[in-house]
Amino acid sequence: MLVALITGLATGALYAAAALTYNVMFSTSKVLSVTTGHISMLGGIFGAWFISTLGWPIPVALLGSMAIGAVFGLLTDFIAIRRVLARSDEHLWLLSTLALATMVQQAAGLWWGTEPKPFPRLIPQDFSAGLGDQKYWLPIAIAILLAVALEVFYRRTLYGKLFVAMSEDAFAARARGIPTGRIRSMSYVIAGAMGGLAGFAAGQLTFAYFALGLTLTLNGFIALAVGGLGSNVGALVGGAALGILSAVATYFVGGEYQQTISVGLLMSVLLVKPAGLFGSQSVRPV
Amino acid sequence: MLKLTTACVTRLLVLSFAFAATAASAQSPIRIGWLSSLTGPLSSAAIAENQGVQFAVDEIDAAGGVNGRKLELITRDTSGEPTKAVNLAKQLAFVDKVDFIIGPVNSGESLATVPIVAKAGIPNLIIGTIDELVDAQKFPLAFRAINTNKQWIEAANDYALNVLKKKKVAVIGDTSGYGTAASKVAQDLLQKAGVTPVYVVLVDPNKTDLTDELNKAKAAGAEVIMPWTAATGLLARLFNTRGDMGWEVPIVGHPAMMAPTVRPLLNKPDYWKNAFAAGYLSTTYDAKGKLPPRTQELMDKIRPKLGNGEIDFMFWWIALGYDTVKLVEHAVKTAGSTDAAAIGKVLENTKDFPGVYATYTWTKDNRNGYPDHAIVVNIAGSFKDGSFKAAPR
Repeated sequence: MLVALITGLATGALYAAAALTYNVMFSTSKVLSVTTGHISMLGGIFGAWFISTLGWPIPVALLGSMAIGAVFGLLTDFIAIRRVLARSDEHLWLLSTLALATMVQQAAGLWWGTEPKPFPRLIPQDFSAGLGDQKYWLPIAIAILLAVALEVFYRRTLYGKLFVAMSEDAFAARARGIPTGRIRSMSYVIAGAMGGLAGFAAGQLTFAYFALGLTLTLNGFIALAVGGLGSNVGALVGGAALGILSAVATYFVGGEYQQTISVGLLMSVLLVKPAGLFGSQSVRPV
Repeated sequence: MLKLTTACVTRLLVLSFAFAATAASAQSPIRIGWLSSLTGPLSSAAIAENQGVQFAVDEIDAAGGVNGRKLELITRDTSGEPTKAVNLAKQLAFVDKVDFIIGPVNSGESLATVPIVAKAGIPNLIIGTIDELVDAQKFPLAFRAINTNKQWIEAANDYALNVLKKKKVAVIGDTSGYGTAASKVAQDLLQKAGVTPVYVVLVDPNKTDLTDELNKAKAAGAEVIMPWTAATGLLARLFNTRGDMGWEVPIVGHPAMMAPTVRPLLNKPDYWKNAFAAGYLSTTYDAKGKLPPRTQELMDKIRPKLGNGEIDFMFWWIALGYDTVKLVEHAVKTAGSTDAAAIGKVLENTKDFPGVYATYTWTKDNRNGYPDHAIVVNIAGSFKDGSFKAAPR
């Protein structure tokens, strides 16, 4: 049972990292990009490629994965968000980001292959460490680190405050001279680097696998909705709850009900608390 | 006189048109539709099968075609998606008007396309393993060239129960359609053999750890683990968990356990030991380390096309792809045309057709062409140059 809890927590941490990535992009664009999970997928496969094939040192490979994520984040904004938001108020970004995510997954499958490939050990450690194995603790540590770093960024830095301002009211922010387009691009770059880091840290848990993206996109969204859109603490709690609940459900009733339990959790929370556990219901003045 | 001349001219015209039509038919290519999941999950098998299909087409065309007609291969990538496979099957049947359809590669796709191809009256060579794909009454022109899932499971069960003499079995399937169905068939066949599994579980193919499942199997007294999943990531995690636990239990099951892509996912190479999987006689080395002559011959012929190095994927996929086209050749040659009914007759009367992957036999009532005796059990970690060693008996 302890194994189920720890593995659930580790998987949940990855969902939480995806939820945090959603949050950063959402704060400046009000878009829930379908490419969110694919950023981590790219972080995983590029990390494995940098280390295993190119022989890069681990810290350089880590920076490389974050850079790949950042570039993909910027491309997401440029290709799938910017023009759509400029031309339409409808939720067409759902289609444009889905299209981009599908293209990236196909490209990754063609280049990397469709079978999972190994992700190298990042810290020297024997495989007999059991629950102390780095594959469990790295994603958990990274998810917490990302949440703390985001809180510091939002509270202590000028750019962080600009993100918050845009999140509150993008029109008012623009009226006050904030370059909203540039800030949005910056948020996608930051989100990309975060996703790349999370994918790199969880590589040993997930293997470097091209089809990981959609799973993370979906479960990251559930974690976000359960925790509350916009809340970093909520993303952590939502991710952990989803991961642990799925693992415990699998432990007691079998894997065939895992997805049902996940979606059931989402529906239950949304019925009782539509804004999520830590979300605040925004009131629109009329 | 004039009347007579007109009649003669008319007859001549009719005859010349008929001759021209026959000549045109003799010269028109034999169109083969090939539904292959070249991209998307599970594309490894399809890519290798495609090498075999393409090689056979080139070989036959280089030798002058079949009855003077060249083969025209129309490949369509289904990406492993049943919906896409259905649309492409319709396109092949009604737009491209192919004479044969090979595939699709995955059973899930085939479940969706087989009724459509059957309705279009086109001979369909099936390469999916789940049992429901063929039915002599419902789909009379669908002929399976691959083994059935049941044949794999029977071979693995026989090895676990009668060779290893293990009666306490844990069955692990994945939650995909294939994994669920295979797990059910495995349980039924074990029950028929008088064995009730001590532990049965379905797990998500992307589950990151199987410690709980193996702890439960151990607590239930399992003496052998039988996984029925094609997900190599999950199988590697099963080996890793068993190895990290230090549990010496044998693992016997699905051929994907032997895939060379499993090896780099293992924490230690030794974790692949004491594992056995259903495989094929055609890609199993004999005691002297030799492959069956037909396999060796194809391997020698195709190796230059594969870069002349060691073959780093399961060769049976190439052999299967190659054989499907050779079966088309056999059917057209024997029938003397591409008439679907005539092709159906030839295939249902095919007995011991010597392929590379197997020797095929179909009858009026049996559309499963793969013989039981050609299924063997291999040592999982024995992959070398596309083939495997036989498991000790």
